[in-house]
Order: sequence, then structure tokens, then C-alpha cells
Amino acid sequence: MTDKAIPPCQAACPIHTDVRGYVSAIAKGDVEEAIRIIRQVNPVRDLSLNGVNPFPSVCGRICTRPCENVCRRAQIDEPISIAALKRFAADQTKGLKLIQQPEHYYDEKVAVIGGGPAGLTAAHDLALLGYSVTVFEAQNVLGGMLSEGIPQYRLPKDVVKEEIDFILSLGVEVKTGLSLGRDFTIEGLLKDYQAVFLAIGSQKSLFPKCNGVELSGIITAVEFLKQVSRGQRPLLGKRVVVVGGGHTATDAARTSLRLGSSEVTIIYRRTLDEMPAGREEVEDAEREGVKISYLTAPVEFLGNRNVQKVRCIEMRLGELDESGRRRPVPIENSEFEIDADTVILAIGYIPEVDALKDSRLILSKNGTVVVKDKTGVTNLKGVFGGGDVVSGPLSVIEAIAAGKKAADAIHRYFYNIPNKEFEEPLAFRSLDDSVVRLINKSIRQKMPTLPIEKRINSFAEVELGYNWDEAVREAQRCLLCGSGALVEENCAACLNCVRICPYGVPVPGREIAEIDISQCQACGICMSECSASAINLKLETKEEARATLEKVIDVAMRETPKVLIIGFYCKYKLPAGPPDGREGVYWLGKLCTGRLDVFQLIYPFELGADGVAVHMCKNEECHFRDGSRWLLTHIERAKKILDEIGMGANRLDIISEEDVSDFRKRFEDLGINPI
Amino acid sequence: MIVAEIKPFGEIKDILKGYNKVLIVGCGTCVTVCMSGGERQVELLASALRIARKIEGNEITVGERTILRQCDPEFIDQIKDEAAQYDAILSMACGAGVQGITERLGSISVLPAMNTTFIGVSDGQGTWVEVCTACGDCILYKTGGICPVARCAKGLINGPCGGSQSGLCEVSKDNPCVWQQIYARLVKLNLLHSLKGMSQPKTWPVHPRRLVREDLRLKKEPTKGV
Repeated sequence: MTDKAIPPCQAACPIHTDVRGYVSAIAKGDVEEAIRIIRQVNPVRDLSLNGVNPFPSVCGRICTRPCENVCRRAQIDEPISIAALKRFAADQTKGLKLIQQPEHYYDEKVAVIGGGPAGLTAAHDLALLGYSVTVFEAQNVLGGMLSEGIPQYRLPKDVVKEEIDFILSLGVEVKTGLSLGRDFTIEGLLKDYQAVFLAIGSQKSLFPKCNGVELSGIITAVEFLKQVSRGQRPLLGKRVVVVGGGHTATDAARTSLRLGSSEVTIIYRRTLDEMPAGREEVEDAEREGVKISYLTAPVEFLGNRNVQKVRCIEMRLGELDESGRRRPVPIENSEFEIDADTVILAIGYIPEVDALKDSRLILSKNGTVVVKDKTGVTNLKGVFGGGDVVSGPLSVIEAIAAGKKAADAIHRYFYNIPNKEFEEPLAFRSLDDSVVRLINKSIRQKMPTLPIEKRINSFAEVELGYNWDEAVREAQRCLLCGSGALVEENCAACLNCVRICPYGVPVPGREIAEIDISQCQACGICMSECSASAINLKLETKEEARATLEKVIDVAMRETPKVLIIGFYCKYKLPAGPPDGREGVYWLGKLCTGRLDVFQLIYPFELGADGVAVHMCKNEECHFRDGSRWLLTHIERAKKILDEIGMGANRLDIISEEDVSDFRKRFEDLGINPI
Repeated sequence: MIVAEIKPFGEIKDILKGYNKVLIVGCGTCVTVCMSGGERQVELLASALRIARKIEGNEITVGERTILRQCDPEFIDQIKDEAAQYDAILSMACGAGVQGITERLGSISVLPAMNTTFIGVSDGQGTWVEVCTACGDCILYKTGGICPVARCAKGLINGPCGGSQSGLCEVSKDNPCVWQQIYARLVKLNLLHSLKGMSQPKTWPVHPRRLVREDLRLKKEPTKGV
């Protein structure tokens, strides 16, 4: 089963981003490689645009992170901070232009209605496929909810703008201020464009069926957030009650605090466990001073012209409803009142159906556009739908996924290419308890944040992002699921791997040893000891390790140093780079040096090195079990060979933490090698 | 399996004196399993040789190949063309492998890099013990599955010599007395009576032995030359 399986994070991501790929690139300190994996089509790996994300900075900040919910690291301690790492990769590579040219340019033109994440993603993918795309946006700015729905303290405007500018730089045309139904129709567009992607989102607020909802001072969260994002500062008064439990509710509450309201209460009819806003978001709101009244629903809004009180009722959770959550049931005679100068409604959204009513599109009773399948085909030929207008309000990553599917479907529609089968990818199974027990614990790096007192007086971004050290350390917590050992067919079944694996993963199979890649931790010790050289590590193959070594020595030889010293160090132990005070050494970092085999310690001499230094960590500090112990064994064997061949064992030297002093001098005293 | 160990490096270097183009050939079966002559060891020996000869100012070209078995001609043929480009082959197989290649390739020197030690079994990571001498006349059914021919220092087949003390062999105190082990095993199996009869002196075979299985032989010459 494991042949086709992928890491759980990748399987859970709606666009199946290669999370492991970019996280491991960060773990190795290669942030450019990380952003390439996130942003670029990899022609070798995958010709489709699956996985390519045009909004890494945005997703790195506000993604709902289905990946983190399934991360196997949680079996040991806490999941990897995946979104924060994506943000790090994107923030660190600002200005790096990764433009790709389409392979062909097609004649067909596509109109995208709606400049939110779904529409812009479709435009991005279609442009990369080689189509000319025009985006029609009703507002004056692009971005949809990203620009006008999410407050700046969570998602700064310049971050959104930068990602949109990148998409536009691919040659996407934009027409803002043009509204569907008012300024143009779908039928009209179809005269000039061969396909239309409808992605107008879902921004019309729902109202609770309560008396007094028409009172002044009762506003919708979407309208409120939109006003604030445009620079307006609505007068809210001291006491604000927000009704709802999603991200929009917490956004509205935290924004109210920032506008000066001192008593902000969210009322939500279920409990924290059911709250769509998510625990972290809720905790942040509470830390800033928002009160949350769970199991509370509004019954009536009281006041003269202006709202003054919200009459609420206490709820309890009853049977499961169709959404799988327990249905809230009012408790009789439990009514109470909360004072309010402003009430902000954030209980749900439907699409602006007015814009669609003249079209012949089939709509559901909720006002969403009905599509035939996941590719977004509607009842009108050439018209595709996707994003919130189809699904109802969901997350940004779902909108991006819808945009990608639509772009793919439109391309297939033009050229009669059969649809891909939307098979749900298979994820690696959970780690066995026997393996979990043996993995070192490592706590999640905390996201640095703005101090509370600085937050509530401004719209400055709350989460500050990891610094280099934090990001690399966090990335190194990744278990690199599925990057481990593959047994090749020349396995002689010596069972060495079975006997030495520190995690007990390999087992004797019928003909060869079998290593369950879903359980392998990728330490590579088996590879370094395999007599038949029949084990290769996906993380770094033997061939890659050899090529890297050759490259480093090649560079070194050209610089003709007095003595050429190759140094190996562990990137887990020293994520910031080679050990201090060791200049003049050509360093090679490894994610664990335990798999440095004897050959890699001898081969540098064949290539012209005068010395090999190995920075050693103590066994108890080892990221993998037994890594240091195996490294020592390999060094001992290599030293013996160096003596036998007349090179001298002292040309291979261990340098430890304490031994900063004159290890270089030791090599210089030995002089150039006898070759 | 056949257990072998690599010769001391100095001896290998001496063996290769005068050769400047050598193909090291590993064997993918027994010697890979006992971790002495597999692909990994070939790679390492090749590099070590190149460095050592460079230091001496007498460079050597070393090729590296590993075949599945050096005791079967069909596998040896896989290196036939390549071997023609070298002065010698350094075999990392057991003695059978060295001679297998010698027989098959004829016109090239085939040199051993290994000392073939015994037929043995694994006794934990990195340890092997001799358990069979391939005497050709198995008596394990009498001795509780423990072979005195291979495991008694004196090769006695009718009981211990009398020098056994505290269960240890008098020839080498590192070894258990195999007759003590046989006795204990037979008691445990309740088969001590199987030692009652006298084992006749073994008819030691005349070397070299040859095993011909008429039932397996092809009745006419194969169309493909083997």
C-alpha cells in the first residue's frame, strides 16, 4: 500500500502541496528551494499545476491548515508549524522572481468573474498553461475577502498585493469596478471569451430571525470589515456584541477592540470544540480582551432607534445534526440580557444571488451555483463555477483548490481531454507505538507575536514570523514521512538492516529485507551499513551524497588552499551552519552524520583532500537514536584503512564542541597529503 | 553459507604488485551476507587501492563490478567483455568464486582478495561460527543436530576426548566442548540412546570431489553453450 502513499499533510491539503519537500528544504537551510517547491511547476515531477500555490504568503498566515491536523508529529508531541514555515519561505524570498513561461500559447480566451483567491488562482494557472485571461472584479481592488474581509493585523494588505501583483505579472488582464448583472452578463462574455469561470464568492450576510434585527447599530461583519479595510473607522461605542463563531466573528471582535471598544463579547451557540474559528484564533482574541459567551444565542435585539441590549438564551448541545455537530437546543427560562452599543452579525453568508438571477444558471436553494462535478462544470456550456459561490463560505485554501480545478477543467474542455479521476490520495498510516516510543520529543517553536498592549492600539500584524533559527529548528522537527529507506532488488537479505535499525523497522521478507517506508525515520544508518549497497535513502541518495562531496572538493581544489580540509557536521545539531571558528574548512552539512559511511570518509583523500574533520555531537544529543555511535564506528574503520594505505589515521580527525582551539594547526602540521 | 574475510590490505597490495589495471569483482551472495565481499566492500577496497598506489607513485586503474554469484558461469559471462580490458581480476568471492572466474575467463589472472574461512551460521550481529566441513557423510541425526566433525577441535565422532573441563574445550578455552553440548541436547530430547552404537571411522573423500546428478543432466548437448 505504501507505494503510492504520500505524507498525510500533503494528502490533507486541498491542493496537495508538497509540504515535506519545502519543510525539508528549510530544514537544510535552503529557502530558495523551499519557495520553488511551493510556487513552481516541477517539469520532472509533475507536468500539471497540482500543488503549485500562487498565495504562499497568504496561506502562510491565514490557512486553516488541514495539514497540521493530520501531522504525524502529533503522535509524539505537537504537529509541525507548517503554515508558519510556508510564511517563512515566502517572506524570506520576497523579490525572488520565479516566472515560468508557458510551453505553448493558446488562442482561446477565458473570462474570470471575481478577483478573489479562487478567481485569481484560476487566472494564474490558466496563464501558466498559456491562455489569455481577463479577470472581472466588481470592487476597485482585487483579492476579494483577502483584501477586504480579513483584517490587516492577520493579513497585511501589502502581503496580499504582492502576491496578486505576481499573478498579474504573468500577463493576466484585469477589469475592476465591473459588476456582474449590472455591467455585463455571462451570456455577453461568452461572445468574446470561449470559457467563463464564475467565482464571485459568498459575501451576502445572513440575518438571525429575531425581532429588532432592523435596529440601527446592528451591522454585518462583512460590511464592517470591508469599511475598516478601506480606512473608515465606524463608531461602535463602548460595548460590542458579535454574534457567530467563525473566523469572521473573531476578526470582527478583535477589530472592534482595535477601534477602541472596551467591552467586546462574542456570543456563540455551541462550545469552543465546535467553533469554526479554531482554538488558536480564539485564544488570541481572549488574550487581547475579547469575552466569549459559549452556548448563547440571540433571541431579540432591544432598543429604541438604536440597539441597546441583546436578549440571549442559554443553549445546551443535543443530538448530532446533519453537519455532524451536536445541535444546540435552547434551555427554557434561561434568557438574559447583554448591553450593547453595536451588534455585529457574523452568522453566515450566501452568494449575491441577485447578480445571477438573470442568468440561466441552476442555483441551489441556498443561492450557491450548482455544479455537475468537482471540476466545476455548470449547466451552461463553457461556464464553470468554483470557490465560495459553489461551496458556500469555506477557507482560502479551498478556494485556491477550486480555482486550480477549474483551470484544469477549462483546459480539458477546450481540447477534449478526458478528466482526471479525482482519486483521494493515500496517506502513510500512523506510526506504530513501538516506533513512536523511540523518537525524541521536540517542542514546537513558538510563533513570536506582538505584545498585547501594542496590538490593540493598531492594526500592525500580530504574528511576527519565525526568524531563521526558529524556522530551521521547527522544520527539523518534521519526521520527513516517507523519505526513508528503499530496499532495491540486489538486496542479499543479509538482514544487517533488520539487526541494526534503531527503530526496529526492517523485517526479513520472503526474498529480501522489507522496510515499511511509512515507519522508517530516515536516519540512513542501514544504508551506511548495507553490504550489498542495496538500500537508498529518498532524503539523500548515495549518488547525491557522492555528487555533493565531489562538487565541494572540486570548488576547493580550484581555490588551492594551503591545506584542503573537508569538514562534516550535523545540521540537526548546528542548524545555523558549520561550527564557529573553523574557517578555511570546506564544510558539508548532513541531516545526521550517523549515515556518513566509511567510503565518504576515505573518498575525499582520493579526490585530493589533505584532511577530513568530523564535528561530533554527543550521543545523548543525537536527533536519531544511535547516530553518533555509528559515526564513531565508521570513523574507527576509516582510520584503520587510512593507516593501512599509508595516508595516516590522524588525517581523519574528530572535533568536538570544546575543541575549538588548534585543530586546524594539527592539520597544517601534517602538511599536504602524501599523494 | 560460506563465510570469508578480506585479506589484510598489505597482502592484497603485494598480490597486485605489477598489475596496473585491475577489475575488482564482488559477489552478491554469501560474502555479501557476511559483509566482506559485497558491493560496499568493493567500492571501499577500490578507493583504498587507488589512494595507496598513488601514494607510492605507482597509480592503478581500478574497475568495480559486483555479480550475483561467481560460482555460476552465466553470471560470470556478465563481466566477460569488461574483464578483457584489465590486466587482472581481483575477486572478492570465496575460493570457489575465484576459481569459477578462472575456469570461465581463462585468459586473465584472477587473484583472491579474500580468505575463505568456513561454512557457518550467523551468531548475532558481526559473528559467524563454523558448523559444517562438508565432509560428505552427515551424522547429525545421531548427534542431536550438532556436528562434532566441524565443532570438535579433534574431530572426534564417538564422544569427548577426556580433556573437556567445565564444558569447555581443552584445545581452546574460548570454545565450548561440543560433546558436552551434544550430550546435553540428547538428554533434553530424551535421545541419549542414539549414541549407543559405535560410529565407524569416516571414509574421507578423495579431493577434488565432483557431484554428478544424472537425473538433472541434459540428455543432449544444450543448444546454448554453457
